[in-house]
This record gives sequence, C-alpha cells and structure tokens, in this order.
Amino acid sequence: MALLVQTEISYDARLEHLRKRKEAQTAEKLRRLGPMNEDDYGMVLPPEDFAWQPKPNHPNGSFYGLQGWADNFCDLLACHPVYVDPMDALAGRYMVLLNRLRKCNWPPEFDYDALKPDQQRYGIISGIGNDAHFAPDYRIGLELGWGGLLAKVRRCRAAQGRDKAEFYEAEERVIRAIQGWIRRTVEAIEAALERETNPALKANLREMAEVNRWLIEGPPRTLREACQWIAWFNMASRTYNRDGAGGQLDELLRPYYERDRRAGRIDDEDAIFLLACLLLNDPHYYQLGGPAPDGRDQTSHLSFLILEAAHRLKSTCNLTIRVHDGLDPRLLRKGVEHLLEDRKAWPRFSGDKALVEGFMRNGYSAELARQRIAVGCNWMALPGLEYTMNDTVKINVAKVLMVAFDEMLLEEPRPSVASLWRRFEEHLGRAVLCTARGIDWQLDHQHLNEPELLLNLLTHGPIERGLNVTHGGVDLYNMCIDGAGLANVADSLAALEQRVEQQRQISWEQLAEHLRNNFQGPDGERARLMMRTAPNYGQGDSLGDRWALRVSQLFTRLVTEKPTPGGRRMIPGWFSWADTLRLGKQVGATPDGRRAGEPVAHGANPRPGFRNDGAATAMVKAIAAIQPGYGNTAPVQLELDPGIAESDNAVDVITSLILGHFALGGTLFNINIVDAQQLLAAHQDPSRYPDLVVRVTGFTAYFANLSPEFRQLVVDRLVRGC
Amino acid sequence: MISGVVTHIQRFSVHDGPGIRTTVFLKGCQMHCPWCHNPETYRREPEIQVFPERCIGCRACAAACQHAAHEFSGAAHRYHRERCVACGKCAETCYAKSLVLVGEQRTAESVVAEVLADRPFYQPAGGLTLSGGEPLLQAEFACEILRLCRREAVHTAIETNLAWPWEVVEPLVPLVDLFLVDVKIMDDAAHRAWTGASNARTLDNLRRLDALNKPLVVRTPVVASVNQRPEQIGAIADFLATLRNVRQYELLPYHPLGKGKHEALGLDRPPPEFHAPTAAELAALAETAARSGYVVRVAGAAQPALDRRGVTPVQKSPH
Repeated sequence: MALLVQTEISYDARLEHLRKRKEAQTAEKLRRLGPMNEDDYGMVLPPEDFAWQPKPNHPNGSFYGLQGWADNFCDLLACHPVYVDPMDALAGRYMVLLNRLRKCNWPPEFDYDALKPDQQRYGIISGIGNDAHFAPDYRIGLELGWGGLLAKVRRCRAAQGRDKAEFYEAEERVIRAIQGWIRRTVEAIEAALERETNPALKANLREMAEVNRWLIEGPPRTLREACQWIAWFNMASRTYNRDGAGGQLDELLRPYYERDRRAGRIDDEDAIFLLACLLLNDPHYYQLGGPAPDGRDQTSHLSFLILEAAHRLKSTCNLTIRVHDGLDPRLLRKGVEHLLEDRKAWPRFSGDKALVEGFMRNGYSAELARQRIAVGCNWMALPGLEYTMNDTVKINVAKVLMVAFDEMLLEEPRPSVASLWRRFEEHLGRAVLCTARGIDWQLDHQHLNEPELLLNLLTHGPIERGLNVTHGGVDLYNMCIDGAGLANVADSLAALEQRVEQQRQISWEQLAEHLRNNFQGPDGERARLMMRTAPNYGQGDSLGDRWALRVSQLFTRLVTEKPTPGGRRMIPGWFSWADTLRLGKQVGATPDGRRAGEPVAHGANPRPGFRNDGAATAMVKAIAAIQPGYGNTAPVQLELDPGIAESDNAVDVITSLILGHFALGGTLFNINIVDAQQLLAAHQDPSRYPDLVVRVTGFTAYFANLSPEFRQLVVDRLVRGC
Repeated sequence: MISGVVTHIQRFSVHDGPGIRTTVFLKGCQMHCPWCHNPETYRREPEIQVFPERCIGCRACAAACQHAAHEFSGAAHRYHRERCVACGKCAETCYAKSLVLVGEQRTAESVVAEVLADRPFYQPAGGLTLSGGEPLLQAEFACEILRLCRREAVHTAIETNLAWPWEVVEPLVPLVDLFLVDVKIMDDAAHRAWTGASNARTLDNLRRLDALNKPLVVRTPVVASVNQRPEQIGAIADFLATLRNVRQYELLPYHPLGKGKHEALGLDRPPPEFHAPTAAELAALAETAARSGYVVRVAGAAQPALDRRGVTPVQKSPH
C-alpha cells in the first residue's frame, strides 16, 4: 500500500475546504428542501436535474417487500450520482433517502385500525412502519468486505433452501448494487485523476482509486480502507432507509490503525485527517472508551485521535464518551475541553454504569450489557445482536393525564388528585397495552413492508437464518417504549395537589373552565400563573419532584411488568426526541399552566424556567432520580452560557457535573454551550450564522437548517433556563 | 437554633471559588458601594422588590395586604413602601412575580440542608461559599453555617470585605478553607468616600490571615472612574506582594446589573453612571496586577481568553 499522501496542501487547509463545502451544501439543502428539523445526516443534494423516482409495486403507488425494496434500491444505485473531491481522503456522498420517496410507509392490507382509537386518544407514536433504529455490528463487514458478504449470502442461501430464495436474492442484489456504485465511483476517481494537475492531489486520487478498487470485493486492510468501507456502508444504509447508528469507533478501527503504525504507513496526523474525513462523511453516532465485555476500559490512543479529528473538523458530530468507573479520566477531560472550546455540542456522555446495571435487570449478563452502546439520539443497542425500535415508540403521558382528567370531571361529583391518579394509572396501562400491540404488529409484518436489507448484512443471524431482523433474524428483542411529557404531568399533579387541594385557591370546576378556555382573560392568566408557579419538577425535593418520581415509577412498572401480548420484552425510557411540538399540539391546556398546543416538556428535562437560578445541579439531580433503570435512557439536555467556558474552572465544573449525574444513576448527558445573545440573533436571521451547530435533542444540527418552531425550542431552553 | 436572613441560595455557582459550589447570600452589608450589582443585599431586613412590567393587574396584592401598601388606580398598581412591613403576603399571591420578597429568615440547619443537596457534585474541589452582602454582618449565623458544613466535610469559602475587628474574623479561621476578600481601593480616603468605610481593617485582617497561612483569593471590582487607573491597581498588587498565601488575584469588571434592582427596591438615590473598563484597559490592568507575583484572572478567565476574545468578559460573580 502506498503511504497516505502528505500533500503540499496541508491537512488543515484541506479540512477547511471540506468544511466550507459542507456549509455550502447545507445552505443548498435549506434552499431546496426547506428546514430539515433533524440530523444533518451528511447527505448532499443530487444535481437539480436528477429526477429518479421509485417504481411502485402496489396499487397505492408505494413499494413494499423484498422485491420492491431490492428493485428500487438497485435501480437507484445504478444511476446514483457519484461524488469525488480530490481534497477528501474518502470517496462518495449519498444524495437520496429512498424510504422517504415512498408514498405510504405501510401496506394498507396490514391495517391496524383496531389500535388507532387508543393510539389517537393517548397520543401514541406507534413505531409501526418505522425502520432501522437498532445497531449493526460493523465488524462483520470489516472482516468480510462486500465480496465476503456476498459469498456469505450465497453460502447461507445454499444451506437454507428454496423457500428463502427471495430473501437471499434481495440481499445479493443490494450487495451487487453497492459494488456497482463503488465501481462507478472508481471510474470517476480515475477521470478526476486525469484532470487533476496538482501533483499532491493526483497522488491522493491515485490512492483513493486503489483503495476503492480493492474494496469492491476485498475486506479493508488499512485504516484508510476501513474508514472508506465504513463510509460506503453508511452511505448505502442511509440511502436505503436513513439508518444512522454507529458503533464503538475506536475499537473498530484500532487494529487497522495499529497495523498501519507498526508498518510505518501512517503517522498520527495522517490518521487524524482520515478520521476527520470519516466524520465529515456522516455524523453517525460513534462511541469512544467505556467498558469492554470483560469490564476493562477500552480507551486507547485512537480514542484521543478521533476526538482530535472531530475537533479539527469543527462540524456536526455525534461522538459519545462512555463514562464508567474505570474510564481513563484523560479521555473524559479531553472531551469536556473540546465541548467547551469548540462549542459544537459534542461530545455527549453516556453513563455506562447505570446503563449496564439497568440492562442486567432484564436478566442479561454483565458481559452482554457492557456491549450495549448509545448509538442513537437517546437510544441503546447491542450492535448486531438485538432489534429494538428505539426512539420510534412514544406515549404522550400529558395526553394520557388529560384523558383521565376530563373523564374524572365528567364522572365524579367530587374530584380529587387521588381519583385522578387512579384514572391516570388505568389509562396509562391501556396506553402501554395499545403500544405493546403496535410493537407486535410491527414485528409480525414489518418484514413484508420494509425488510432491513442493509442492516441485516451486519447483524448476527438474519443472513444465517434467512430471516429479516424484525422477524426472527436475531435472538434479542428488547422493545423500546419512551414516555414524553413527564414534566407536564408531574407539574400538573403538583399544582393540583397544592393549589386545588391543599390551599383551595381554585376549585376543580374553575380550573376546568380555565383549561377549556385556554386560560383566556385576566382571570385565566392569573390562574395560569398560579398553577405554573406551584413547586415544579426539578426544583429539588419539591412536590413536583415527588410526582415526577411517582409517574416514572408507574410508567416503568407498567412497561416492564409483562411483555407484549406477543411475548416481547419492553424497556422504558423518557425521551421526546424533537416530537415535543407534535405531541404538544395534541394536548389542550394542562394544569401546569401550559397553554393548549404548546410543546410538551423536552424528554426527561424539567420545563424551562423550573428554578429561578436555573441550577444545572438541581436539574441533573432530578433527572437522575426519575431514571426507569432498565438499560434505556432518560437523557439530560443541558444548555449552558459560554460564560462558563471562559472560566479556568470550567473543565472541572462540567466534569464534576457529569460524574455527579452518573454517580446518581444518570444515563446520558447532552450539553450545548451557546451564547444566548448569539442564539437570539441567529433565530432572527439564521443565514448570518451558517456554522452555528446545536444539539437539538440527541442529535446535532446546523441551527440555520431548523424551522422557526424548532429554533424556538432551543432558544426557550437556553434563554429561559434549561 | 441559630437563624439569620438569607437573600437567596444559588446552586451550581461556578464563579465563587473552585469547582461546583452552592453560594449562600446573606442579607445586609456595612458598606454601600454604589456600583454593587446586588443592592438588594444592602439592607439586612427583608424587603419587597417591585417589577411593574410583570404586573397583570389582578389586585391580589391589595387584597392580601393588611397595611394598605398596595393601591390600584384602574389597572395601575402603586406600592407604598413606607407602609410595608415586608411580611411577604403580597408576594405570596403575586404569581406574576411582579412583587418579590427579598430576604428570608432561615435556620442554619435548613441552609446547610440545601447546601448538602448538591454534595454529589462537589468532588473534587467544590463546596459552600458564604457570600452577601457581607456575611460577617451576621457573624454568629455565618459561623454556624460554616461549622455545620465543616462537620459534613464540605469545603468552605467565604466572600467578605474583612472590614471587621479581628475578634469577629478570628472564629472563622478554623472554619474556612478559602477566603475570597475584596480589596477595592488602597487609598483609605478614597475607600471611605466610595464605600463609607475604611479599608484599614481589611488590610490588617488580610495580613493576619496570611500569617496564619490561610489560603486567600483577593478580588477587586474594577470600575471606570473609581479604581481603573494602573497606579490604583498597582498599589493593591504591591500590597499583595507582601503576602504569601494569595492563591490568585482577580479583577472583576463592573457590571450594570444593579441598576434595575435599584429601581425595583425603591432606593432613594439612583446609582451614579458607572462603566466597565475597556478590554484594552483590563488587559493593561492585568499586567499591572501581575506585579503582585500571583496568578491574575479577569472575571475568572485566564488572560489568553481575554486576548482571544478581545472584548470585556461579562462579570458573573454576584458579589
């Protein structure tokens, strides 16, 4: 192998070029597609005259099933534009999200109308028809390469017999389509090589061509090849259905890095540039450090190089440092330093002690639990071993509370908080059951709707068994159910208990009238403020904190006490993703002083303005207390003023905050360091701040690419105090 | 039980000593520095702050008040501070937070219970900071809080002007891990003119604490037209150079936060128009301050941060 080319153009200059190009591509996405309201994903747009459309195989104009997906994926990749930048170490970008081109994401013949009344009643996001949201094991692909994967599919096809032929045929076709995409990219690199006049860039393109030519069939041998292989899988999988789970990147790449270093092929500067190009290619959720299956810390020199690569890249990024008792403290400190200095809302931090102990509570071994990593916005998965529907299934508990509230006022001559709680418990139980049935429905039918042809390849079982991952391809089905609106429910119950029952400041009937009128008029506003200022969740040992704990314990019990009717285990968490807006629109005014249609509270966070001092310690302590504790997360989303970053004390402060939260049982910690004035200015005119990156929920995004409503969410959290 | 008047308790306080701290602000100060951005701590007694822009005209305050301190003319609210006994009943009913009671009688035990709430975050360097106002105006209360924290092995710091007889300061010695001391002006006449008190005790007590090897952080609020001249900061630096236990010397640029509070408190005289020094002035002062021989920080930030930003850092410490 040739050395990675040290060009006359410095790595810093090349990264600057690549970063500026990405910013231009991001601006172009905003112009052509409008606000994205989600992760950056690393996608670039195809040429404006690229007009490919999927071919339906269903009367409703959509496409489904093995053949529908294989046909369209292969057809798309056959004409997908190729992308080569002589400054980049890696070739390729993806330009289409195939799953979003479907007219309907669920076959109408698999109707679940029986579930819909309760889904609507309780604000349930069922996850039916949603894809990905579990984690691949990249090691499978890195070991086999595309040629090896193809051989494996053929070998398993021969072993499984004819009845699985359609499945294996589809898997074979997607691999061949990817190989064709790489092959066409190699031709484009060679063409670029002919045109390139800069000797250094010519050398880079020559090596790029060699790397990709090899990867059409062979497994990666060097760090550059490994990064390129991962990039190809990511691009293909994104194209297929937007999958974005990453993996334990330092451990995945360490063998290649160490081999290259031993052979003298690269130095650390080469490695950092390669890694930066991988992170630029796609901001997947990658993990660093944390416990190996045997409990020892996995931090390596490469962990630091990956952090350094992200630091130099200065773009959107979703690196997570896995904090556990044995973590090399230098990695945590380095991560905090970058968080404070770069202010790009990375890295984030997972609390692996509580996560491991929590997952073990489901009956799993410590060795297995230590392999479960935070590979999505809020979510945990065992790479290549489990199907989860993470972050796709949610119950709007604020809606459930108001169903109970309205019912109580209708039926009870003497309403009470105790009665409301009983009814809430009953309705939440129904909501969980309805959600569980939805999960079963998904697991029973998703393979007929949207087989996971890409992720199956990097999962242990589907290819061996000839079964889609959703349908028996793996042994472990740990199905996620997240609650959303915790703070609204806790604060509502606290306000009702204090203002209505203890202080008798307002009657149930008066309050109900104000809720119906959305707190209109001077009396309504006074009532709203009165309810709003009752002791909130997050204040610290308050009535609201006690209710939040009780609500979380109830939710946890209802989710974990029995499996779905189909026998699948469910794991609770608290997370709203960016659905706070959508879920808020489902709910009228609530007793916590929230007006009708306003967003529900964010994830496990207290509501903005929960304390006068906005004390982060109070908030993270409250969130640590309400953790469901079964291995899924209830994350902290913390916004901090950059004033904190300017103190010499800052790294120690943030480190203490993170470690304190995790010592109390916390599971995931996201931090934005954003200047309130800058954020307000960017809210007014996003185009002036094209490089402002914020962590919206679990993901980072360019602030300018968010809709005004989403921008307001971030502004509210920062300006009003978490 | 020993009790005192607390202005408020700030958890996750990160600019008043090392690590994550809980800062307890005691009410009342014997100095009345006109640039103070916490004028609500001038008086020791509880009092009402009024924020008219938040008023929704519900008149609940008038109904709650037994002393006719609140009147309404149409929707317009009028507050008669002279009639008010600061019982806080109006503020309790003012959900719009237009009326806020500043100052609460608390026992030392209840204060420390709140301090201990954040104990999980104090490792390795954080803890309690006792601040004000001037905490030694309630010396017995302050000592009790410190004693209880000491018993719980919580790191203790105190922000004080030290303008007290040594007999008041001495009991703190075994109870305080770190003294954060304001030295505002070296010239005593100027000090008296601006603050209403001499600096002689401050300087003397600093020498005594230094002789006892107590760790010291010395701070100077830097206010244009008051003490922003290099020779003024230089004089303080030269004094500090005679001490041995100063951990750092901090320059805290003036922040106009107190102006709005003056109005909310109905203070008789509006504060003079003060200004923060410019970034260039601060940088020069920091160089002068370095004559002390100690680490110099500006608003908690090391000097490279100041140079990099090229703007005046925002003062965060509410002292």
